[in-house]
Amino acid sequence: MSMYILSSQEIKQLAQALQASHEVYGPQVDPQTQQVFFDQLDDVAALNLEAPIPSMPVKEILFPQMERILKYNYDSETQSVEMSKQYFEKPKVLFGLRPCDLSGILALDRFFLGQEFVDDVYLTHRRQCLLISNTCLNPFPQCFCVCTHSGPDADEGFDLDLTKLKDGYLVKVGSEKGQAIADAQQWKPAAAHHLTEQKAVVDHCIDLFPEMATDNKAWISRVMNRITTGFIKSETWEFIGDQCLECGACSFVCPTCSCFNIEDTQTACGECERLRMRDSCSFEGYARMAGDHNPRQPVEDRRNKRFFCKLSYSQSKKYLRPGCVGCGRCQWVCPGDIGLPNVVQYIRREITGGEN
Amino acid sequence: MSNCHGNHEQGNCKTTGLCPIVTFPEVVNIDEIRDEIPEVKTFYLSFPNKDVEREFRIKSGQFIMCTVFGAGEFAVSLPPSPENDRFHISVRAVGKVTHALHALRVGDKLGVRGPFGNGFPFEDIKGKNIIYVAGGIGLIPLRSSIVHALQHREDFGRIILLYGARSGKDLMYQEDIKEWQQNAGFETFITIDRAEAGWDGEVGYVNQLIEKANVPVDNSVAFVCGPPVMFNSVIGEFLKRGMSEDAIISTLERQMKCGIGKCQHCAVGRTLVCTDGPVYTYRQIKTLGEQI
Repeated sequence: MSMYILSSQEIKQLAQALQASHEVYGPQVDPQTQQVFFDQLDDVAALNLEAPIPSMPVKEILFPQMERILKYNYDSETQSVEMSKQYFEKPKVLFGLRPCDLSGILALDRFFLGQEFVDDVYLTHRRQCLLISNTCLNPFPQCFCVCTHSGPDADEGFDLDLTKLKDGYLVKVGSEKGQAIADAQQWKPAAAHHLTEQKAVVDHCIDLFPEMATDNKAWISRVMNRITTGFIKSETWEFIGDQCLECGACSFVCPTCSCFNIEDTQTACGECERLRMRDSCSFEGYARMAGDHNPRQPVEDRRNKRFFCKLSYSQSKKYLRPGCVGCGRCQWVCPGDIGLPNVVQYIRREITGGEN
Repeated sequence: MSNCHGNHEQGNCKTTGLCPIVTFPEVVNIDEIRDEIPEVKTFYLSFPNKDVEREFRIKSGQFIMCTVFGAGEFAVSLPPSPENDRFHISVRAVGKVTHALHALRVGDKLGVRGPFGNGFPFEDIKGKNIIYVAGGIGLIPLRSSIVHALQHREDFGRIILLYGARSGKDLMYQEDIKEWQQNAGFETFITIDRAEAGWDGEVGYVNQLIEKANVPVDNSVAFVCGPPVMFNSVIGEFLKRGMSEDAIISTLERQMKCGIGKCQHCAVGRTLVCTDGPVYTYRQIKTLGEQI
């Protein structure tokens, strides 16, 4: 793997150069609210690689809240139909992804592109996407990526990976696409001491995590094991389920949640479009069928589905890793205090018989 | 893939060996509409694109996603047999999209994606007796399998249909049933819930037919489709008679949006009805840990 050392100036130049051929997305701080958004950059001057974690995950760009996938026109008089595909996209660069968000994308990749069928819509977005990750320097109090092996530094899946060191950015190349970019530039190769420095940066970041996160490391896998083998008491699930307000916020801020709904709607001019929009398994109508039969009526069935999904069914059983990347956003937004770290805590308490 | 519909870029062909229509609906023509029973119509369809029609092969037990243009998409099981049978669907008007479908005329167009799902395990059941148990419109998903089994009559032992509906006019596919009854070695037992004028057949629930038909338990498989209440009582009866949990087979119904295992609406336990189902054995259903 080749490595280079770049000045902050050269990083901006890279973003600038990529803007010629790509839409460049990166973290930026809203001057009014101080909130961080991972959004398209009109001007690379707004790119802020030291900003805290963005409020919304980067899946926003690859798997938007709502997107049009098909447009059609049906004329009932002539009984004729015209249809067209709607999701051709420009190439994009995700510049300065946090490793947790990068892991989120890799989880979506496994899900949408792996398995029996390929999701054509996601594939179209993904194929034209360049991923530039950025080692995390400042975790949230809620962060626990050290427990899910998805941070604070990235070790796979990126095209380029950045780490801020004292005298500039260490740039690791992770793919042929990334190497092609490096080859086109006159970058200075990194020296051995830069790698040592990077390790120190990562170690420092891990020290910033609350004790609970580092302490929880083995607990996530233990809880996954308990859930997968069906050893959790139903009272524990009921306790967790009772705190859910069914707002769906956890699903919408989660980098790996991928459920969606599909609806056809008519536009004003008589055309129809097929929209796909994110959905959440905690919603009451999620599994309800025509004729009002709802097989997932019992609340605990529905409310805890998400935790089964993250910690047992979809990701861990198929890929042997949690469907959680430890970004802590669910903990941050949940009004009922059942973000994933807390759920792990509750189950942990059950296992240890109430201690901790 | 040379024989893909140009619908997607990957060879999504592991399910059937042939390529299903995955992302974009293929346009089909409504050639004929028949009133089947109250609320249920059968739509006979054909593909204007003959290349697609040639490739469109189904397995018994699979389903398609059907688009009513302007209204939306719904999942529907496929009643035609995989061999020499007209492509058709039978649909009960029960929600927004199916009501819109019922308002269509001959000559209108629909969109079709699929076929999706695993299908009935015909390879594994050669030489066995097949017991079909259907309640109401539960006969729709079983029709394909019955026609297929009768076309390969020599491969199976006894073939028995136990069928129940609310009333005489709620019995599906009456012409088909008459035709099947003429087939040597096809036994039918039909019941309706309450006695009515002009009905001289059985009265009662479908699980009572099991005794009547002297259903063989050894070397048999039972395909059961119907409302949950029927399903539970029939399965209880079979288990009491010592039938193995693996030999009781059913199709599950769920809300489906994508058909290809991505939207997750049809998740049951750790499986997805659209790709792991819709056909499950009772042993599988029991371990899914959810209401049926």
